Amino acid sequence: MLVYSPHAALIGGRSFDQCGDDLPLDIEAIRADFPILSRRLPNGKQLVYFDNAATSQKPKCVIDAMSRYYEEYNSNAHRAIHTLADEATAALEGARDMISSYFGTSSDQLIYTSGATEAINLVAYGWAREKLGKGDVVVLTEMEHHADIVPWQQLSIDKGVEVRFVPIDTESFTLDMDALEVALDGASLVCVVHTSNVLGVRNPIEKIIEMSQSVGARVLIDCAQGAPHERIDFDSLGADFIAISAHKMAGPTGIGCILVKKDAMAEMGPFMTGGSMIKRVTMEKSTFQDGNAMFETGTPRIAEAIGWGAAVEWLNQFDMGEIHDHINDVASWTAAQMREIPGIKIYGEPEREDSSGAISFLHESIQSLDLALLLDEGGFAVRTGHHCAQPLMDALGVPSTNRASFWVYNTMGEAEAFIDHLRYIVERFS
Amino acid sequence: MGIGRSWPEHLDPIVEEFSECFDSMERYELLFEFAKRHPTPLPPDEWEDENQVHGCQSRAHVVCSVDDTGGFLLRCGADAQVVQGLMAVTAIAVNGMDPSAVAQMGPDYADAMGIKTSLTPSRANGFLNMFRRVREEAGKLV
Repeated sequence: MLVYSPHAALIGGRSFDQCGDDLPLDIEAIRADFPILSRRLPNGKQLVYFDNAATSQKPKCVIDAMSRYYEEYNSNAHRAIHTLADEATAALEGARDMISSYFGTSSDQLIYTSGATEAINLVAYGWAREKLGKGDVVVLTEMEHHADIVPWQQLSIDKGVEVRFVPIDTESFTLDMDALEVALDGASLVCVVHTSNVLGVRNPIEKIIEMSQSVGARVLIDCAQGAPHERIDFDSLGADFIAISAHKMAGPTGIGCILVKKDAMAEMGPFMTGGSMIKRVTMEKSTFQDGNAMFETGTPRIAEAIGWGAAVEWLNQFDMGEIHDHINDVASWTAAQMREIPGIKIYGEPEREDSSGAISFLHESIQSLDLALLLDEGGFAVRTGHHCAQPLMDALGVPSTNRASFWVYNTMGEAEAFIDHLRYIVERFS
Repeated sequence: MGIGRSWPEHLDPIVEEFSECFDSMERYELLFEFAKRHPTPLPPDEWEDENQVHGCQSRAHVVCSVDDTGGFLLRCGADAQVVQGLMAVTAIAVNGMDPSAVAQMGPDYADAMGIKTSLTPSRANGFLNMFRRVREEAGKLV
């Protein structure tokens, strides 16, 4: 049950005493919450948005919450005593309470960032640079997003830390857990993606956390793709750090967080310095705030945090298990149909029960950019490219893939139309 | 070149063929055909950093020189067939022309072909980057 603090009263423009029971999943009613889904493209085609792994669409309540902040109480937070500042601060911290509660933890373990990328960099610069040096080991996987690779490579260059990559099994498209066990020897930090943005595969993170902590390593889980598909409970999972982006789970771009266990946070030094995160500044030196306040510098992302709070409030109406099952149904049907289309190859197993349903695919003769253009002509928004996962592309032996990724508002009707158009493209252009 | 346009007359039949396409899918189909009929393709084993056109969503490469008669010669290649097709049409337009004429040419043939309307701003940028590169290279050969 989500517990709202009194500060949350301003976020929806109303007060709430308790969270309601989970609403049944009425997809048409859900779609009505998203104004963009009724859009027609310039060529007259109805938009079918299958690029949710890149970013999700936003319900009207999120858009309205952010607009209301700018229209009614825009002010800098934490910095003044006047009414608007008080309301802005209440809304910012109320959102923190809501979001941290949604992720099963306390607000003092949530540090706002610009997204999962900055969250991971905060761990790299704030924790790893303080704690790790030559000879220490950071373990990654071949399926990590660049955000969870490049900071550690930079750490390796600057501090002599060893970076090890756990390979994937390119037949089953899953992590090689035997190789992980070997890689954990002497590990100080293990960083693993919860769900691959390319393959849709959900890693056994509970097991990975247990294995890693048994050898004394801290664990960072990149939940950017996991949070839209599963209820993440930070305290229960037991990871030391969890990185999340708001914009993939109905929230605005430009905000996310790193959830940090208190004992890990106590080992961290500041990442960015300047206003807000200080206690006292003199010309000789500065002292810093305690806890999560040390890591939030400058003017906060107030509108974005309020928007994310509204997104979490919207999502909390539903059972995430039902959302996941719906997405899985649409993705599984689509993948099964795609496997019947001559020349189409799918990377991953979107039909798996725990998959996020992202379908990465190629055609044997229609180049990926061409295929994406031709799909767009039919109104279908899919992504093409390396998906910020070039080591994974290298492991799969391809320069890029097309990717269709689904979320709660996508329907079986959209999937059927997508298959019809894909068949048409393959018949006409291959 | 004709009045009010900057492409050579020998490109007219091709421009007309594209402009008469029923819809964008037919235009794409025609571009795919031209990709296969590219007069002077640059094979992938000649693709290098120096000849890559940056700012294109597809991988695209351009090598410009003069032929035995002193006419402009464009050899070009791309991984996406839509881009390869656009490059093929461009090569048909410019091959054999005086380099100084190529350096003056504009990209308006893409508008006349109806291709521009199929190109979003980011895709159009890729085509324009390729076209500007050809013009720059032609300018160096004058």
